[in-house]
Amino acid sequence: MIFDSYEAYRAANFKPKVCILGSGPAGTTIARKLGASGIPVVVLEAGSREFSDESQDFYRGTTVGDFYFDLDITRLRYMGGSSNHWAGWCRVLDKQDFEPKAWAPDTGWPIRRADIEPYLPEVHDILDVPDFRPDVPISDDIRWVQLIKSPAVRFGEKFAGELDKSSNIAVVLNTYATELAGNGKRVTGAKLWSNGQDAGAFSADYFIVCTGGLENSRLLLWSNQRSNGGVVPNATALGRYWMEHPTFEGGNAILADYGEFEVDAVNEAFFSPTPAAMERLRIMNFGIRLIETPYAGVKHVIADLACTAPDMAEWVAYQLSQNLRCAAQLYVAWEQAPLASNQIELSKTDVDHAGVPRIELHWKKSELERRTLVEGLKLFGTTLIEKDLGRVRLMDWIANGEDFPTNEETAGHHHMGGTRMGTDVTRSVVDANCKVHGMDNLYVGGSSVFCTSGQANPTTTITALACRLGDHLSKVVSV
Amino acid sequence: MSFFKKMSRRTLVQALIALPALSLFRKLPEADAAHAGPSRADPSRADPDEIVEVNGWILKRSDLA
Repeated sequence: MIFDSYEAYRAANFKPKVCILGSGPAGTTIARKLGASGIPVVVLEAGSREFSDESQDFYRGTTVGDFYFDLDITRLRYMGGSSNHWAGWCRVLDKQDFEPKAWAPDTGWPIRRADIEPYLPEVHDILDVPDFRPDVPISDDIRWVQLIKSPAVRFGEKFAGELDKSSNIAVVLNTYATELAGNGKRVTGAKLWSNGQDAGAFSADYFIVCTGGLENSRLLLWSNQRSNGGVVPNATALGRYWMEHPTFEGGNAILADYGEFEVDAVNEAFFSPTPAAMERLRIMNFGIRLIETPYAGVKHVIADLACTAPDMAEWVAYQLSQNLRCAAQLYVAWEQAPLASNQIELSKTDVDHAGVPRIELHWKKSELERRTLVEGLKLFGTTLIEKDLGRVRLMDWIANGEDFPTNEETAGHHHMGGTRMGTDVTRSVVDANCKVHGMDNLYVGGSSVFCTSGQANPTTTITALACRLGDHLSKVVSV
Repeated sequence: MSFFKKMSRRTLVQALIALPALSLFRKLPEADAAHAGPSRADPSRADPDEIVEVNGWILKRSDLA
């Protein structure tokens, strides 16, 4: 069932056991799992069926530190959530992303990748992607990895029909849970706001917060403040360890045989470090994305190379005359080290229309990440030389040690951390089952539970974790 | 009588003390080159497979020819 207003939902007299906040990839997946298990579940979605400026306005906020996107642009507030502007890149986090790294504090998950692997066939069905091939090592240092460009499932569109027909699932649009109330053991209810006004209190046996990688922290911070610590009793890490995938054009490559790595319809290939290289160089994970350079750009690269290595430039020019495909742009996205200082706070001066404080995001890249970018590109360049595959040129700002530019991609719109998973209550918010420490009936879904970000786009891992949480709740919740 | 028995003990000791100084009579440029590594050595003797970074390019030294 889908209701366009809270009033219509109330008139239906539906009695849910579980209340899910948010209808993005995590919320929708968990709802479908619970509904299939015969558990009545309500999904409260703050937005409507379509994008609107009025709804997006609730997402405005500020950023302190490094340049970042406007917070009302980097996510979407309507049915299906931010899957509505997802580019579709799929890959689950690497095995080593779950392991602690001695050179990077606060890394390591309380679960292993093997804990979510059983859900991957289900995830592939949800996201409309085929199975992945194994990584291909091209040297001791570099893996050729596969990211699959999926059809970019819009969860609101793909599952609207199924949700509408379901007798166990009620999706309620235009209904904003502004805060949760709790007594330090249980969430006792939620305060709702609908149609521009207070809509009263709402209760259910279980609450699952799936409002996104920024909003989950905001809701819990505000709820905890209002209930004097009754919603997140161990709140030291709440809002902290927030992460993105910084993304920049890192340079160019000239290739002896461009077709060597052509793997998908968009002519892009991806490379990551081996675990041994990461450990040896003490760097984080990264992904180098190889994109074919247009003809005019190739000539520029050749001219630049001619100043340094004339014979090599002559060879490249010959290659260009033969097949017109011999150069690529290198975009680098890398894993951000989890730092407590990268955090979501509540604004002390600015609130949304419902009176909830807006987000003040504190975000800075660290020296470790700079080193990951530089060493990663050098590692890739060295591998191309050793394997006689080509040569790499670093962008001037990287080679010269200049500041990060502010006019490029900047990051992946991937919002991770803030309610991270862990066993230490001072460094995490939820346990290995995504249950908030100390609370009996409060869970969190989505990338806010990520302990580390790896280099892969998060949607595949979000969906896998949601399948796992859905399975767990199906056993915990009694009908 | 052997050669050593013809030398006085004093002469023998002076000769032993002087031995380390013999390297001063070698060709100094070669001695320097041996410790300078391939990048400062005679280019004709540098490792052509050495990875070098020039103007942002990550290259083999032989690419620079």
